[in-house]
Amino acid sequence: MAQEIAIDANYRMPEPVRVGEETGSSTAWIQNLIFTVDHKKLGLMYIGAALLFFAIAGVLAALMRIQLAFPDNRFLSPDVFNESFTMHGTTMVFLVGMPLAFGFANYLVPLMIGARDMAFPRLNAFGFWVFFFSGLFLYFSYFGAPGLYAAGSAPDVGWFAYSPLTMKAFSRGHSTDYWTLSLMLGGIASIATAVNILVTIVCMRCPGMTLGRMPIFVWCMLVLAFLVILAVPCLSACQIMITLDRYIGAKFFDTQAGGDAVLWQHFFWIFGHPEVYILVMPAFAITSEIIPVFSRKPIFGYPMMVAAVVAIAFLSLGVWAHHMFCVGMISLANAFFVTSTLLIAIPTGLKIFNWLATLYGGKLRYELPLVFCLGFLFQFLVSGLTGVMLAVAPFDWQLSDSYFVVAHFHYVLIGGLLFTIFGGIYYWFPKAFGKMPDHKLGMWHFWLFAIGFNLTFMPQHFLGFLGMPRRIYTYQSDRGWDELNLISTIGVLFQAVGILFFAYNLLYSWFRGRKAGDDPWDAWTLEWATTSPPADYNFSKTPVVKSRRPLWDAKHPDDPDWAHE
Amino acid sequence: MSTQTETLADWKLPCQRKLGMFTLIAAESALFAIFVVAYLFYMGKNLNGPYPSEVLHFPWLGSIALFSSSATIWLAERCLHSGNKPGFGLWWGFTIALGAYFIYFTADEWRHLIFEKDLTIATNLFGTTFYSLVGLHAFHVIVGLCLLTGVLVADLRGRLHKDHTPHVEAISYYWHFVDCIWIVVLTVVYIISVRIPQ
Amino acid sequence: MNTPDPENPKSIELPEPTGWPIIAAFGLSLMFFGLVTSFFISFVGILVALFGFSGWFLDVFPHPKHIQVPVGAEPKPHTTARSIQFLKIGQRGHRMRIPVEVPPLMAGVKGGIVGGIAMAVLACGWGFFKYGSIWYPVNLLAAAAVPDLAEATVESLKQFHLMGFLVATFSHGAVCIMIGLLYITLLPMLPPKFEWFWGGIMTPLIWSGFLFATIRFVNPTLADHVDWPWFIVCQIAFGMVGGYVVFKEEKVETMQSLTLAARLGIEAQEEHK
Repeated sequence: MAQEIAIDANYRMPEPVRVGEETGSSTAWIQNLIFTVDHKKLGLMYIGAALLFFAIAGVLAALMRIQLAFPDNRFLSPDVFNESFTMHGTTMVFLVGMPLAFGFANYLVPLMIGARDMAFPRLNAFGFWVFFFSGLFLYFSYFGAPGLYAAGSAPDVGWFAYSPLTMKAFSRGHSTDYWTLSLMLGGIASIATAVNILVTIVCMRCPGMTLGRMPIFVWCMLVLAFLVILAVPCLSACQIMITLDRYIGAKFFDTQAGGDAVLWQHFFWIFGHPEVYILVMPAFAITSEIIPVFSRKPIFGYPMMVAAVVAIAFLSLGVWAHHMFCVGMISLANAFFVTSTLLIAIPTGLKIFNWLATLYGGKLRYELPLVFCLGFLFQFLVSGLTGVMLAVAPFDWQLSDSYFVVAHFHYVLIGGLLFTIFGGIYYWFPKAFGKMPDHKLGMWHFWLFAIGFNLTFMPQHFLGFLGMPRRIYTYQSDRGWDELNLISTIGVLFQAVGILFFAYNLLYSWFRGRKAGDDPWDAWTLEWATTSPPADYNFSKTPVVKSRRPLWDAKHPDDPDWAHE
Repeated sequence: MSTQTETLADWKLPCQRKLGMFTLIAAESALFAIFVVAYLFYMGKNLNGPYPSEVLHFPWLGSIALFSSSATIWLAERCLHSGNKPGFGLWWGFTIALGAYFIYFTADEWRHLIFEKDLTIATNLFGTTFYSLVGLHAFHVIVGLCLLTGVLVADLRGRLHKDHTPHVEAISYYWHFVDCIWIVVLTVVYIISVRIPQ
Repeated sequence: MNTPDPENPKSIELPEPTGWPIIAAFGLSLMFFGLVTSFFISFVGILVALFGFSGWFLDVFPHPKHIQVPVGAEPKPHTTARSIQFLKIGQRGHRMRIPVEVPPLMAGVKGGIVGGIAMAVLACGWGFFKYGSIWYPVNLLAAAAVPDLAEATVESLKQFHLMGFLVATFSHGAVCIMIGLLYITLLPMLPPKFEWFWGGIMTPLIWSGFLFATIRFVNPTLADHVDWPWFIVCQIAFGMVGGYVVFKEEKVETMQSLTLAARLGIEAQEEHK
């Protein structure tokens, strides 16, 4: 087969075939994925792998909710519960959140800036595979890490692995090393991919695509890459330190030798807080693309939106210790971190108002992507308000490490991030596979998931006020937490059914979906200027851009945008 | 189409290799920053000796070698730009020799500290932070040496083309970065910490 | 990128698919994995990684390998069924309502002052008829900022208190003028019929509700002694009088209808659509 279509004499590999077009052998299909350096395939592989890990971590979460549904429950043992929340958190942050961001960036950034591939395509493949192997590595701990009872045991030190829990004396065996080493490996992948994204955006824009004309999605990804490059090495440094401590007896966090456990918290959160903004950046990016297209208006206040994202990124580098108000810092430090954290509310609020202003007076089309983004706006607002509450140190002293915090960050990461990810998947599904997602199934998905999500996490705010701490594996029935916990667990059922609708919708639309055409949503950015799915080379001719909405210019030659910008 | 070709011709963007190296340098700087902060934070908090002021000597020879290698790599680059191929090979080789001497010097210092002064990474906080910071830097020097050697081998075999200039420049940026880090390490470890009373 | 005809290329150069990155990634992973299993695995990992990276290096050195991908179907030209309809400023029936004309700023100040006087007269009248002192409501208002008054008895609240008088006059005046200014933007945005109802009654009612909920935190003394029905009457008096003054003033065009350049005071070069 290869000889027939070979063009070049040195040509060895099989002809690249688009994902989904392969009808012959499944081996050829897999081989294709393994050898590919194409940014679109790698992007889809990132998203696919992330959804796989999402399913696993979701099951872990469901198990924990079942355990907490009733007081004095004996469904999970305390050890398994500790492992579950550690693996759930670690997976969701490092194997779901970041890869989803990288997947969207990989797929869309070159298309949106009119490039043929990423700047370093082979490095891109390398990054994906290192990430994928790091995920397998982490989950191998369930079988391979000799734990306390000589059975396989997953890491159980929490996703932020506070010292001294991670010290050799308190964590015997290798379970903590699995956490450290697999995430260090994943860190290498993240940095490689972030360098790639940043260089692609700066160096590969098509003619006319000035920084001021880039879609806001691309701006957000530029900021995301910048944050990854500055934040992830800090985590790697921490992980090198505990590896040295655990393997060759260094004293970084050994209190008996004068080491300081609080230093770990500082170092971890110097990484950890920018990480939160790394995770939520795709939400900003996707919403800023979907809302204008489905309200038939250009984004309101483009320069402000860009300035707000950049401001958030800079501020997020200086707020880490708001995770540590309970540690007992000096009051000047408390005051500084309260102030800097409250400041973040300004650019974030500005973004919300700009999205609302884009919707205001628009001709709204309630398609799936917009519906999910509207859900995002409401839920992200709740998470922002609880975030402002937690930023106030005295309030935080009351509610730190309670279920209020759990509710807060799940509103950020599910209500905020995940809803827009779903919206984004529905929005770009026609581009990637050439088929329309099914509207009815999608609406079932939305309502089940929205109801389930709010049912699960809204009561957790009140559980927090009632004093229920995080990470407890069970509780007595006289605390007044019974009903709220049960409601919270019932919500998980709705969410799970919603996710099943989502999975079914993807498969159904892939095989049976209506043909989408090149530009089903009547959108304005460059990815819709090519075929669906795009050819391997993206654009046969390099596009030339004259405004922020190149396709608007092409569709409305009587009133192009560049006449106004 | 005429307007399009005009735009295409005017459209200039930064070099990918160089920007890639700059972003990598930014990431590495963050990594080093954490280790430097750890060193500064634990300075003077040792519960037992040996202390920096007792065992550290200012690394004159190693530092001079490393700093002058920055100058030689710059000269090599200048030769590359002016098309002076033998000059490039000479200065580039000289840079490698200086870097290798620095590694030898550090290894000898460590041998002295470990076997004669009984300071290991597990001895005290000073040992922990010292070996990790200096070791991380030495690791970067070794990686840099591998890259430099690769370029030299390619050059000697005559396979270095004109379009490799950005690659060579990117590698020289990395080498300058390693040098800059040494300035910080030198200041923190050999100038500040030896003056901190225990 | 040396395609012979850049405008209509028959094939396009793309990086060649390669297996070296996955081999290098696997080797690197094995290196780390060996640390939790056996150092022998790390050793194998180093070998695999070296193998992968050197293969990778030979892939891109001296020149990155490429394949030529034939150009397939062209995307359809971009069209849309939608036509452009320009939003006219202040267009009826559209959800976006931007006031084209508003009362001038001074009308707001005037309305605030007149409304404030009406309100003060009514409030003092209430004090005079119910408690026999026009100073009683003045002192209650000032109690938010004057500690003496906050702890005073009803009897002493009836006395004239200079500090209280100054504070009350200043705060009442400032708030009234600000609300008056708010009215000049608020009134044109309210539904076009029954302006007197929306501006004169509903707005004061909403404002009173807001005060009812929050006054305890601002001024506990006032919250203890206030007579809510009369308070609401005073608010409505302000709304009706102030609103009337603002409303009857001749309106001026807002700058919403001007271009950004004109609003900034720059002579616009482009024609405004």
